[in-house]
Amino acid sequence: MIVAFAVAPVVLVTMLIGLRGVAAMRTTSDFLVASRRVSPLLNSAAVSGEYLSAASFLGVAGLVVKDGIGSLWYPVGFTAGYIAMLVLVAAPMRRSGALTVPDFAEARLGSAALRRLAAVVVLVIGALYLVPQFRTAGLVLSVVTETPYWVGVVLAGVVVSATLALGGMRAATYVQAFQFVFKLVLFIIPAVWLLIQVGPQVRSEAVQPAEFTHFRDDTTVTFRVGATLDVPHGTEILEDGSARPEGGAGHGVRELDPGAWEVPPGTTVTFAEGTRVPEVRGEAVPGADGWQRPLLDFHDAGFPLLGTWAVLIATMLGTMGLPHVIMRFHTSPDGRAARRTAAFTVALLSVFYLFPGIYGVLGRVLVPHLYLTGATDSAVVALPAQVDDGTTGTVFTGLLTAGAFAAFLATSLGLLLVVSGAISHDLVPGGLRQLRFAVLGAAAVVVLLALPAAGFDAGTLVTWGFTVAASTFCPLLVLGIWWRRLTAAGALAGVAAGLVSTVGSFLVSVAGPELHGWVAILVAQPAPWSVPVAFLTMVVVSRMGRPAPWATAAMLRLHLHEHRQSPFPARHQSDTAARDLGHSSWPARRSSAVRRMTRRLGR
Amino acid sequence: MTGRRVAVTSPQTRLAHARRRYRGPWRPTTLDPAEMPRAIALYRAGRRRAVTALAALGTLILGLPLALRLLPGLDDVRVAGVPVSWAAIVLVPFPAMVVLAFWHLRRAERIEQQLYREPPDGTEESGTSGASGAAGGTRDAGDGGRG
Repeated sequence: MIVAFAVAPVVLVTMLIGLRGVAAMRTTSDFLVASRRVSPLLNSAAVSGEYLSAASFLGVAGLVVKDGIGSLWYPVGFTAGYIAMLVLVAAPMRRSGALTVPDFAEARLGSAALRRLAAVVVLVIGALYLVPQFRTAGLVLSVVTETPYWVGVVLAGVVVSATLALGGMRAATYVQAFQFVFKLVLFIIPAVWLLIQVGPQVRSEAVQPAEFTHFRDDTTVTFRVGATLDVPHGTEILEDGSARPEGGAGHGVRELDPGAWEVPPGTTVTFAEGTRVPEVRGEAVPGADGWQRPLLDFHDAGFPLLGTWAVLIATMLGTMGLPHVIMRFHTSPDGRAARRTAAFTVALLSVFYLFPGIYGVLGRVLVPHLYLTGATDSAVVALPAQVDDGTTGTVFTGLLTAGAFAAFLATSLGLLLVVSGAISHDLVPGGLRQLRFAVLGAAAVVVLLALPAAGFDAGTLVTWGFTVAASTFCPLLVLGIWWRRLTAAGALAGVAAGLVSTVGSFLVSVAGPELHGWVAILVAQPAPWSVPVAFLTMVVVSRMGRPAPWATAAMLRLHLHEHRQSPFPARHQSDTAARDLGHSSWPARRSSAVRRMTRRLGR
Repeated sequence: MTGRRVAVTSPQTRLAHARRRYRGPWRPTTLDPAEMPRAIALYRAGRRRAVTALAALGTLILGLPLALRLLPGLDDVRVAGVPVSWAAIVLVPFPAMVVLAFWHLRRAERIEQQLYREPPDGTEESGTSGASGAAGGTRDAGDGGRG
């Protein structure tokens, strides 16, 4: 019921605006010109709206519950990325006229092979970023409505691909901007309400971390994914027929056999009030020693500084390579506005990211049992029901679900479009119909990938997406914009080295042997070494070759601002018209990448 | 004679259409030699400022975890019940990053304005910069409309 009330309006409004966008915008140039006149403030709200994904809305608070206060470094990295973007990329990228990184690669270095490789990287980043979005959507829907996990994932896939097929992304910037305000309000108001409503007892517990050892109330836990629990002595569960049949019973309460317990998927267990909490094998207990440390110590390996830095480097440098974010910057009228957009985005994100910590510390007190099932990502939507089991709690659950769904929708729409654009524009060129099929195909693949991913953290997968972007597109963009000796061969080698090292490292950490200590951290979070490797490869290979004769001009053009005065004395009218003042090449050459792209997407 | 209309295209165009790829040949970027000095000056000034801004960002982002690592005592110091080290992750980086962003934005815009007013030596300027700049702006917008 809650879902009907909460999610339906979000979907409906998005679809309606999408339809209206199709009706209002007849030609591609309409669309482009409208987009190019977007003011920095509005555009930065749109950038933030697209950027705040389910991982930000739900994931950060969930990670705080599970891993500790140190998880609050994730949003710091997410925001710092926009400063790196502002300093290094925003204005030159807009001035290059390239919509996407593959476009930029071709415009700056003139290599079709590099363009294709960049498109492959877009696919990898898109998959790593989209799977956790779909997973979280499925998880939240299953927590709120008690449906199986796969129903939520499939529903999410259907909604996103249907909206895109109807043309939802053409609904221009103000939809995203509206969604940012929507998300901000839906995040802040429940946070304040929760803080007031929980009372002084919970508030003081929230800042005095204690290990989660005993259940506060009778707690029902649904294992959607199987888990292995270490059951201590004295854990009691309430009998209601669905639990394990054997074992002694008394007054409907029975004690679990101590030792390892393989919980099959789909089990529902109600733990009795006040009994000991089983431990999940291989996970730290919320509130355990080290939880309150403000650093990210993965698997308690004893290298908190390394773990924190790895995440910060990946998120900070990865932001500038995220394909859906770069696309948004292009809606600014010029490079200067793009730069302002980046600066405003830092401010808007900073406001939003003040709040995930509140959900995190409250979630540690009120819903720590979520860690048993690995569903800590749903902590935010599970909180209101713990505080108020009446109508108010239901309403706030609905509001937060709506916000989470809006976050999921905004990010997924942008990413899915970029991914299908990379397929049907850069890899296998074709028309609009093919683009539509690419959307459906990409959505189907992502749904299939998300189905077995229920056990993965949204935070881990998203960080991997950032790591790939940081080790491939970050060196490509930074050196492409600031180093004139970059060659196409060097860029190809660097991007390939970054892609291979990061993806290989993820595969080792998922399927490889068990690792310990700092090696495990560097394999699971490869950014501290893969980013330098990519930069070095790019520099060394470029040094071995010679840049093209026009390379210096191509780089310097990115730094000239658009509305500059012509260095030539004004002559008569026809001549000034022939020589475009803003651009030293003639207008037909300008933003060729933009026109090419929109011709594909728009008709 | 029959009244039937037949599209007549050059074989090359037909070939291009058959490929269903409307991509023009890629052309290298050009830069007017007269604009080169200004472009180089902008590039150098921008690079210098970018390095300082990134150094500040790096110090903040990598230095704060280091400080929290070296001062574990901050976990036990509490202000209004909240451990100082918790507040430090949220209340220090975000305001500092906002300040850094707007500081850099102002500097970056200032170098563009400065070079706009006083061009680097080697270029001869004529005409008032304001009028010419406005003309450039409108022409740019008009071009966008055509594209």
